[in-house]
Amino acid sequence: MTGLYDVSHRHEHGAVPGHPVAKGQPILELRGLQKKYGAVEALKPADVTFLSGEIHAIVGENGAGKSTLIKLLTGVIRRTAGEVFWCGQPVQLATPTEAISRGINAVHQEVVLCAHLSVAANMFLGDEMNRNGLMRKRAMTDAAQAVLDDLGFNLPAAALLSNLTIGQQQLVATARAAMRGTQFLIFDEPTAYLTRQESAQLFRLIRRLQAEGVTIVYISHRMEEVFELADRVSVLRDGTHVGTRLIGETNDAELIAMMINRTIEQIYHKETLPIGETIIETRGLTGPGFKDVSLSVRAGEIVGLYGLIGAGRSEFALGLYGRQPVTSGEIYWQGEKVAIRNERVAMDLGIALAPESRRDQGLCLNLPIGTNINLPVFDRLSNGLIVNRRREIENADRQINDLKIKTPTRRVLASAMSGGNQQKIVIGKWLSHGARLFIFDEPTVGVDVGTKAEIYRLFARLLEQGAGIILISSYLPEVYELSDQLHVFREGRLVASHDHRGASHEDVLTQAIGA
Amino acid sequence: MSIETATETAPAPKRGMSILFGLTLLGLLLFLWVLLGLSTNSFWTANNISNLLRQGAMTAILAVGQTFVIITAGIDLSVGAVVGFTSVTIAWLLTHGVPLWPAMFLTLLVGVLIGAFHAFGIVRMGLPAFIITLATLTSLRGIGLLITNGSTISISNDAFTDFSRADFLGIPSLFWMVLVVAIPAYIFLHLSRWGRYLFAVGSNSEAARLSGVNVNRTIYLAYILSSTCAAFVGILLASRIGIGNATQAEGWELQAIASSVIGGTSLFGAVGSVHGPLLGAFILATINNGANLLNVNSFWQRIITGALIIVIVYFDQLRRRGSR
Repeated sequence: MTGLYDVSHRHEHGAVPGHPVAKGQPILELRGLQKKYGAVEALKPADVTFLSGEIHAIVGENGAGKSTLIKLLTGVIRRTAGEVFWCGQPVQLATPTEAISRGINAVHQEVVLCAHLSVAANMFLGDEMNRNGLMRKRAMTDAAQAVLDDLGFNLPAAALLSNLTIGQQQLVATARAAMRGTQFLIFDEPTAYLTRQESAQLFRLIRRLQAEGVTIVYISHRMEEVFELADRVSVLRDGTHVGTRLIGETNDAELIAMMINRTIEQIYHKETLPIGETIIETRGLTGPGFKDVSLSVRAGEIVGLYGLIGAGRSEFALGLYGRQPVTSGEIYWQGEKVAIRNERVAMDLGIALAPESRRDQGLCLNLPIGTNINLPVFDRLSNGLIVNRRREIENADRQINDLKIKTPTRRVLASAMSGGNQQKIVIGKWLSHGARLFIFDEPTVGVDVGTKAEIYRLFARLLEQGAGIILISSYLPEVYELSDQLHVFREGRLVASHDHRGASHEDVLTQAIGA
Repeated sequence: MSIETATETAPAPKRGMSILFGLTLLGLLLFLWVLLGLSTNSFWTANNISNLLRQGAMTAILAVGQTFVIITAGIDLSVGAVVGFTSVTIAWLLTHGVPLWPAMFLTLLVGVLIGAFHAFGIVRMGLPAFIITLATLTSLRGIGLLITNGSTISISNDAFTDFSRADFLGIPSLFWMVLVVAIPAYIFLHLSRWGRYLFAVGSNSEAARLSGVNVNRTIYLAYILSSTCAAFVGILLASRIGIGNATQAEGWELQAIASSVIGGTSLFGAVGSVHGPLLGAFILATINNGANLLNVNSFWQRIITGALIIVIVYFDQLRRRGSR
């Protein structure tokens, strides 16, 4: 029996594997572990060894493959190739149940618990205390309370989870994992939503788990946390395991240099075009998720917005587009003050938005490609109310050809397309509509390198035609190389601005993280 | 890192599949007719066929209206109650001396208002479609009963009541009413841009909104069309039975939903047609009619209808999964 708390009803589950691995010896070894989605390699063959009882940090940019790695280790997805050794034995890790039964647990960034159940019920979920088939509710509440008190969390076990802050919920999730005979615990950016005080509580818990012999994998963007907690650190970049360092033998600068890829600069196709007049300007724009943002976009330039996920860039874009209410501040369109009350007003002015999530915001997935492309322009393709079928077909086919969308016909459903082709459909919508200001929010997430290059060339074409572009990206090389002006967002505010290559990668990253 | 699984298979074009499915349904309907023709003497008589067409006509019109709503990923549980309520409305108007045409116009307007109220509840109050239409389902019957004080209103306007018994070109006038609804409905759903918007809202309302589609207006439109179709059926029903009674058309909402679903409409939205629910309605009507002719216990009709819904929708699901 391992883990902090023996809740003494585990005999139902057969033996939890003991602890045959001495501290400092390999507990989990990955050999050539690889994950492919279709042709896209989310994780290139990686060799990583986790030592028993260590705190092993994993760092990398968004899209570097960290989430893929966690999902592989916790059995959420199955590997394409490679081997995994647990305590020296080859294992499948094919299902979450298998991972949990071996003692591998994860605490996710987004809390995956039941909001409508109590804290105690969540902590015991799937592993309830029973007597004669009935739940021992009070016993569970008492046991959960004892655990929470012991950890110093100051949380009521009987409270509904939904009444807690996200940070408190994160602590519950951690306590839940700690309670369950865990030998190997993965934290996926656990402090993203925590207050300073909650973070401190969490760190105390992590150290305590380590002292009990639990191996910790700690994934974070925040360098100071990595240096505070970790024994060793592994770096991922573009799905590649770049290297592993002892924490005492490395420093900020080396890790950041390892995280940022310098070899694929050639795909960033940047032409210097004459900059024209100002298309749009915001002054002190404030709304849900962003505060006091002042910036402008001129014809022929790309304005990059960089920041971590949740830094307020997408919210700013939605505010500009009229989807979210703007509470204060002003927007000037070609010199005139405008109020953008809804999406239609934005479109009529000449703003186009390719939103962050293709799946949730960009596409009608179970409709044909053609309908998706024509959606913003059906009023133009119609005579009165009736859609002109010939023009509908012409327009869809033109975009499919121009953008090289790989499909036999426009009647194929958008859901059948790969990420890159789906992004092209979203772009096609706005090319057929036409605009002066194009907002691209994370246009290359889940898109292969070849399509990325096509999308960048398309940017140049739009700029030549006198448009301006706002490019929102969490992928630093992309915004860094393409932007004429680069603005850095942190916690809803615009914290720094640079000209093209006006600052080093390291500076920009530091400004975004706020280290 | 979120990478959509890249499955670049070549799926069959959607329209082709929908025609295939329509033909399958038509085949099923003809198969039933041939089967009944062989096993009974009375099926292919003029009397029975016009009876069948009358039976199916009203469900068919309801199902077409219902389909607009289901395509937007909503549901309208109130249509049966709207039929009962509007039968009372037209009967009350006619017995209070309102001329026939204005009375019909006002009754249809009642349908428009009920639909607008549903959309108001969904769009402005944020209620689920299931809840707001469930609420009007019970309330409308109550209001109708209050108006008539629990009894029925007899209609003495012969021109009105003769209409439902009349034929035109040898086909019951009630069946012509299906075409009066279905042809504009087809143009609206498949040829107009508002039809495209219905599908877009049902598929992903956020994407539709960000593409400049007026989502709220589209939802108003869907529910108003559904309730107006139901009010139209209320007029036809009052004409057919010669009375207005708020308890009439009990359970017709489920008949309408069943017809729509058998006709290939997806309750998840964004999949549906006009011809599908028409065929679905007449398949259900044929089963009822045939069961009567074969002296099958009417309880069995319900069981057969339920089984048919499961079988047809299951095969439709298989087909969809296969085409993904």
